[in-house]
Amino acid sequence: MTADVFIFWFLAILTIVSALSVVLMTNPIYSALSLAMTMVSVAAIFVTLQAYFLAGVQLIVYAGAVMVLFVMVLMLFDLKNELQAFSRGKFTGAIKVGAVGILAGLIVGAVGSFIMAGKSGAPVTPEASTSADATKALSEHLFFNHVFGFEALGVLLLVIAVGTVALSRSKGGTHAKH
Amino acid sequence: MPSTSFLTDISINHYLILSAILFSIGMAGVLLRRNIIVLFMSIELMLNAVNISFVTFSHYFDKVDGQVMVFFVMTIAAAEAAVGLALAVSIFKRFKEVNIRFFEHLKG
Repeated sequence: MTADVFIFWFLAILTIVSALSVVLMTNPIYSALSLAMTMVSVAAIFVTLQAYFLAGVQLIVYAGAVMVLFVMVLMLFDLKNELQAFSRGKFTGAIKVGAVGILAGLIVGAVGSFIMAGKSGAPVTPEASTSADATKALSEHLFFNHVFGFEALGVLLLVIAVGTVALSRSKGGTHAKH
Repeated sequence: MPSTSFLTDISINHYLILSAILFSIGMAGVLLRRNIIVLFMSIELMLNAVNISFVTFSHYFDKVDGQVMVFFVMTIAAAEAAVGLALAVSIFKRFKEVNIRFFEHLKG
């Protein structure tokens, strides 16, 4: 078993366990910590896929900015352990678990057929490039071919920032009495 | 008996199945939890699952379009979290509670 294989399985198990604990923890602070763990391991998965720049962006944006946002809001709320963390209702709960089960069954079918098929075809792994080359190719693609989307995202972020400030400053938020 | 080569040969399928499992966990969280904050966290999980499959395809087909799309998804995710949390704060100011059932008061 080579190092690549070991790293993949380690990261996969770490990601799945921490994602499960996001959903299953009843204290939202523990959910936020597990989410940060998930983000870090997803960034490591990006590194194994040789997307070095995206791994850095993932760490800064998700594990940094978005997690700080979540934790700040949780601090504002001052939540204790919830009395009723999960939705109630036997019938709707059964429907929800069934829907998730169908999706999980699809996954198990995919895994099964994949194992039964034996080998999965030789993976066409491109030759390893240095991180500088990969980042250069990515930036050229982003700024030559997708520059309109990039500018549109800039405008979107500005609108979102203004809208968020307006939403949280208005008296009563969305429930302002007229 | 199935062969154990899937344990030692990491291929594109492994990454895609990991992405699908992560997406299912996020979907279960959205459907089953009541806390609006944990709901947003589950949505982030689903977006991350999609990001993993984008990067996987980008790596195995040697094209960078997938990684550009991951940039866009990350931006949208950050914006969505900001607006959603602002909404949650205003719900909390009104009801002192962040349970999802208070969102039904938003209609009308």
